[in-house]
Amino acid sequence: MSPASRKRHRHPSSRLVRLCQKELRETLRDRRTIITLVLMPLLVYPLLSMALNRFLMTATAGTSEVVPYSIGVATDAEMNSLLDWIHDPMSQPPKAILQSSGGKLAEFQVFNTTAEGKTPEEALRANMLDLAVKIESGQPPRVRLTAFNGDVTSETAQRILTERLQWLRLGYAESVADEQLQGYVPPADVTVTRVGTVEKTSMLGTIVPLVLVLMTITGAVYPAIDLTAGERERGTMESLMASPVPRSYILFSKYVAVVVVALLTALANLLAMFTTLWAGRLLPLLTGGDEAFPWLAVSQILGLLVLFSGFFAAVLLSLTSFARSFKEAQAYLIPIMLLSLTPGMFSLMPGVTLTGPLAITPLVNIVLLAREVLQGTAQAGPAVVTILSTIGYAAAAIAVASKLFGSDAVSRTSGQSFGAMLSRPARSTPTPSPQTAAMTLALLVPIYYLVSNVLIRVVPELSIVWVLALNAVALVMTFGLIPYVAVVLTRCKLSTTYQLSAPVPLALLGALLIGLGAWSVAHESFVVAKQMGIGGLDAERIEKTKQTIEAIKLAPAWLLVGCLALAPAVIEELCFRGFLFTALGKVLSPARLIVTTAVIFGLFHVVTGNMLLIERFVPTTLLGLFLGWLAYRTGSVWPGVLMHFTHNALLNLAAKYQDRLDFIGEGYDDQLHLPASWLCVLITMTLVGFAVVWIASRPRAENVVPEMAVEA
Amino acid sequence: MLLVDSLTKAFPLDDGLLTAVDGVSFRIAPSEVFGLLGPNGAGKTTTMRMILGLLEPDSGWAEVGGVRTATDPMAVKSRLGFVSASDGVYPWLTVREMLLYFADLYGVEMELAEQRCESLTDMMDIKHLMDRRAGELSTGQRQRVTLVRGLIHDPPVMLLDEPTRGLDVVGVQTIFDYIDILRRGGKAVVVCTHRLDEAERLCDRFGLLHKGQLKYCGTLDELKQETRRDSLVDIFVDLIRQ
Repeated sequence: MSPASRKRHRHPSSRLVRLCQKELRETLRDRRTIITLVLMPLLVYPLLSMALNRFLMTATAGTSEVVPYSIGVATDAEMNSLLDWIHDPMSQPPKAILQSSGGKLAEFQVFNTTAEGKTPEEALRANMLDLAVKIESGQPPRVRLTAFNGDVTSETAQRILTERLQWLRLGYAESVADEQLQGYVPPADVTVTRVGTVEKTSMLGTIVPLVLVLMTITGAVYPAIDLTAGERERGTMESLMASPVPRSYILFSKYVAVVVVALLTALANLLAMFTTLWAGRLLPLLTGGDEAFPWLAVSQILGLLVLFSGFFAAVLLSLTSFARSFKEAQAYLIPIMLLSLTPGMFSLMPGVTLTGPLAITPLVNIVLLAREVLQGTAQAGPAVVTILSTIGYAAAAIAVASKLFGSDAVSRTSGQSFGAMLSRPARSTPTPSPQTAAMTLALLVPIYYLVSNVLIRVVPELSIVWVLALNAVALVMTFGLIPYVAVVLTRCKLSTTYQLSAPVPLALLGALLIGLGAWSVAHESFVVAKQMGIGGLDAERIEKTKQTIEAIKLAPAWLLVGCLALAPAVIEELCFRGFLFTALGKVLSPARLIVTTAVIFGLFHVVTGNMLLIERFVPTTLLGLFLGWLAYRTGSVWPGVLMHFTHNALLNLAAKYQDRLDFIGEGYDDQLHLPASWLCVLITMTLVGFAVVWIASRPRAENVVPEMAVEA
Repeated sequence: MLLVDSLTKAFPLDDGLLTAVDGVSFRIAPSEVFGLLGPNGAGKTTTMRMILGLLEPDSGWAEVGGVRTATDPMAVKSRLGFVSASDGVYPWLTVREMLLYFADLYGVEMELAEQRCESLTDMMDIKHLMDRRAGELSTGQRQRVTLVRGLIHDPPVMLLDEPTRGLDVVGVQTIFDYIDILRRGGKAVVVCTHRLDEAERLCDRFGLLHKGQLKYCGTLDELKQETRRDSLVDIFVDLIRQ
């Protein structure tokens, strides 16, 4: 059996699993990994706990609720007088003032220091007291309060007791004035109120994102260097690159190993941190006074750790893949580690929230999301944008890493720069690589998010004509231009990349029939999804939809068709069923390829500005499945363009001429099923369309782009 | 078995281009050991890397068993065995795990891979080291593991890049024995080296590279006849002086 034929008998995914197992086995056996994984948390957290203990005690020093201030006097008579004054209701500040300072009343313990054989001042100097008090008899008695200079607690006790005695004097004076001065009116009566909602400030939410950054970095750095630059230093790189396994497979297995080790480190740190805090009885202080163990918060942190590890491991690998030695890799990583601390500091800033560009800023968005999740203030829209953009960045970083790992730049003895990586290849290729697709997607997510945000801001000030035109331009500039630039830079052939070959005419007829009928399927899927609790329109959204339909009615039909049917049909099909389809087709089976591109297509339709239009996911993904099947079956993008165009044009024209379509019956506005007769006709039309395409299209093997048939 | 035609590769430098390999062509038959000889920087390793598919040639092509590197690099790689100058191993894996890992990379079924591990380690006298961590092995033992690794997928063509570099007398003899085994096993073997005395003992035919160009190619007798010199060393000295 030849090597090539042997290879065909093995499933790529099982090989990928075995590659991951080898990388993990190698990494987890390394003592240096174990030290980072186990010993570091065991050593660091008890020390950190001690420091935290001190920090928290200092932070709570101003709130007398926890520790009463201790006051020393020299005689029992002084003690009694002082206690009488402190307990006198007149020594308490007015309710309004008390509320404005948090509603807490300081407590004092007074005792006679002579029982210890010391004067109050001596006891104060010996750090046995917070405050020494001496009361000299007279009219009025003279009270001397002595604090220890520089001791925050002592100075606070002095300030509070002084204020209490002042309130007592004032209260006494006012009661005398009330009794003896007829018509006495105080100069002002103060009422204290506040506006705005109180922001829950949990210590956990502030500290955890910072610790999260640090511990994930700690876990990921060593394996990232060892599995990439280490290969070269050990002299195993060339043998590895000489083997008949795609570079992306090898890199992906290393990525999995780094993510797993980073996660294990993070998990070990998390458990060590919470156990130490629990043992030190600091947990309630961190969770805002709640005695219960914060299981929900811990699981949420774990979820974010997965995301964070995935992202950071990819970034680390992209840097270490370029390095030729451990030393060089460390030199690359030090700046990135320092940079990573900066976003961590963001979480400490009050008033910074996960909105606008911050939602797509790498690392900052995760740290802010972590803080908001822990504070219970996270919003779905920015959270999804954060997750999607982070996945995109991770994919792009892996793409860069797989391009660099074992490349000429690393294998050659002479040096090369990062710039060489960006240079155009000497020869053209039929289709883009999955790495190029990943990088393009990573760029598309933030750019699309920014563009859609800008559009939403300017839309209220523009007429419908301009809105439609801007939408089309934005579509061309994002989903059209970005993949095109990638295609040009990687020297891919346009015809094969975008599947521009002409289809069989009968396939076009089938696509037209599907386009005419598919909107009913999309509509029904929307209604069913709504009934299952996925999406649905609330009253506000229905109102907005009605406003949009009213605006659409004012637009000329040609503009409507051009901007909302033709432009999306051409640009989105070229992007999703052309560029992405042929790129991902190198590593995915046809079924997975169709589903993956459909889901990406659906997700892009869900995120619009800061809003999350969940109700769009099911119908657009379903449409994406239809379009993906068409592209796969016909090997051409054009039937999909025709179907997409027909579908969009039909929906938008139906919206424009809604008033003339009353004969269909009620339904669309009320989110109900279509009339049965219409449904039968439309679904039959769709099925006939599918059958026509099925019959018209040639067997897959003849249509497929050459790379798609070859095992990656 | 191995056919190289007009392979050319240039690397960009700050002040222009460095042509590392310039139109190199040769062919090797089964059971033949071909010595690709030349001083440091002659282009031996670059040629080897282009054959392996690690570097893309600017022009020309390499063909292994009828398949060109540019057409199906994975199929070519699976037909090639490679032993580099480095005795790199994965220090935390056992010898068995490492050999099976490489067998897996080359798509060899597990059962067959285990059989090959047994027979090859027996042949190279390292069977007793199979369950020892590779990081604990001596230099000589690592070298033997590397040699077994190159053969684990039973390739028809073997490429050896400076296989005797840094080895003692025993290590060099191991390489000689290994190449003899390869020759008897019907493999086409390319040995890149600048050790002319060793090459003379090892190889059936020679290719003399200088400044990226293949100056002479043939058996020792053919080279002597063409250059009217008595030894490879003399031929080489003349070449360098040109």
